[in-house]
Amino acid sequence: MISSRNPAKNLVAIAGAATTGFSSKNTPRSQASYAAEACTAVIRACGLQAGDIDGIVGTNPSAAEVQAMLGIPEVTFFANPPIPVGNHMAAAVAAVHSGQCDTVLVYHASYRLPWNTASALKDPFRGLGPSMAGPGPDTVGGVVGYTAWAARYMYEFGVPKETFGRIAINDRSNAVHNPAAAMRTPMTMDDYLSARMIRWPLCLLDMDVPVDGADAFIITTTERARDLALPPVLVNAVTLGMIDKNEEDQTPSLRHHGHQVVVNNLRAKSDFWTDGCDLYYAYDGFTPITLNWLENAGWCGPGEAGAFIESNWDAAGSRIMINGRVPLNSHGGALSEGGTQGSGYIREAVHQLQGLAGDRQVAGARTALLTLGGFFFNAQGLTLVRD
Amino acid sequence: MPDLITDLITDAELVRRFPGQPLSHDSAAHYRGRLARKLLINRCAACGTWHHAPQPICPACWSTDVVPTEVAGTGTIHLAVFLHQGPPAEGVDYSTPYPVVTVELDEQPGLRFTGTVVGSPNEAVAIGKRVTLDWIDRAGTPVPAFRLVESSAS
Ligand SMILES: [Zn+2]
Repeated sequence: MISSRNPAKNLVAIAGAATTGFSSKNTPRSQASYAAEACTAVIRACGLQAGDIDGIVGTNPSAAEVQAMLGIPEVTFFANPPIPVGNHMAAAVAAVHSGQCDTVLVYHASYRLPWNTASALKDPFRGLGPSMAGPGPDTVGGVVGYTAWAARYMYEFGVPKETFGRIAINDRSNAVHNPAAAMRTPMTMDDYLSARMIRWPLCLLDMDVPVDGADAFIITTTERARDLALPPVLVNAVTLGMIDKNEEDQTPSLRHHGHQVVVNNLRAKSDFWTDGCDLYYAYDGFTPITLNWLENAGWCGPGEAGAFIESNWDAAGSRIMINGRVPLNSHGGALSEGGTQGSGYIREAVHQLQGLAGDRQVAGARTALLTLGGFFFNAQGLTLVRD
Repeated sequence: MPDLITDLITDAELVRRFPGQPLSHDSAAHYRGRLARKLLINRCAACGTWHHAPQPICPACWSTDVVPTEVAGTGTIHLAVFLHQGPPAEGVDYSTPYPVVTVELDEQPGLRFTGTVVGSPNEAVAIGKRVTLDWIDRAGTPVPAFRLVESSAS
């Protein structure tokens, strides 16, 4: 049930975050090597050692593989949740607050795979895995789902393609300032509108960039984080959200899916919402998801994302600056930093709140609102605050 | 549907006829229906609620007496995409974008089925148009599809 009950509020913290940076080309490295690089970087940045870690949460490679790879002697908690990475954060926060463990290593390694990029097929080590036989073209399941609902969004509100393009351009403009990003060449509306159509109405630049790379985090009690090397970022609230009719073609409507559950529950549990946030991150695996997050989170009304973006557009920076001060996806999002399945947004929010965001630093940022995931089976959200 | 001759097809043969489809003990009747060109959707015998994809229990009342039941096949296009690329499939040439529509069936609000559209140019296929069930053949196996109802075709 939607509830303001939140006994872990501000008592669990993200003590640090690290990234390998991302490449949109096949690299001669394994997924495990990226996980290892990000995990060792974040453990060192926090001033910890392998023996200090007693919880591990990640997907690929598995927690067991990471424990063996890094020689972490003993853990009392581990989990391999499905992506996106809000799931990992929710598991880590719950494990720390309940006392199942004290210090969790959370990681996510993105890896270019044959199902999302044909060129990945050229690397025999990336493999085809088990049978790739799919259900054929007569479905809106999987990657087609957001395209189908993008068409519905255009139908219901008369939205032009340029509105989707604003999301892609905003991300690219932010990625220009992010050395970890895979795509850093500025993008114009002409570039966007002339991109190859993949599945009408969405084109190549409406879809996230498959990348190689990894992010990693340390989650611990706020009390312990205060003794570590970096400023703690407190988890004000974290939630997942899903409804019963969660298959792509059975989802009831644009106003009834996982987003609304996340927004209602996260808002009830958090100390701030859109009015009080200095940073906003909205999932952009496909551009229509971001437009709908803006509307569903309450920045504007249904169908109004286009007008909202126009009135909050920073022409000089070619990007969104809400009320002239809150950037959207300051790292470049999945569309330009790379498809990190959620980890990039959280890592960037942590670095911004720690004052470690380099050229992209938002001066004095103290609060971040993150609405991650899509409509169907993976909506999630976090609110983070600087200690 | 004990009257269907397709009941004579073994489970193993059914799996062979539908490579890549989500076949299970719960969905087998739906796919046997396809071989007879009947679109069977699960309906609860206790409360009358329809659901799709096929599940072993009624999500409305938890009765396990769910009966694969033929639908009229009429409805309204709710979602529509045109694939400029996609998985290989016999008879599908993406040089003409392949239409895929999710149709809200007339039997129940929110009950939807997804398939392609035959018999009309892509320009005529749009959300809000009325359709009726049709069938195409792929590698000798019937695949449910939709056809625009004349009065709504442009
Ligand atoms: Zn029932």
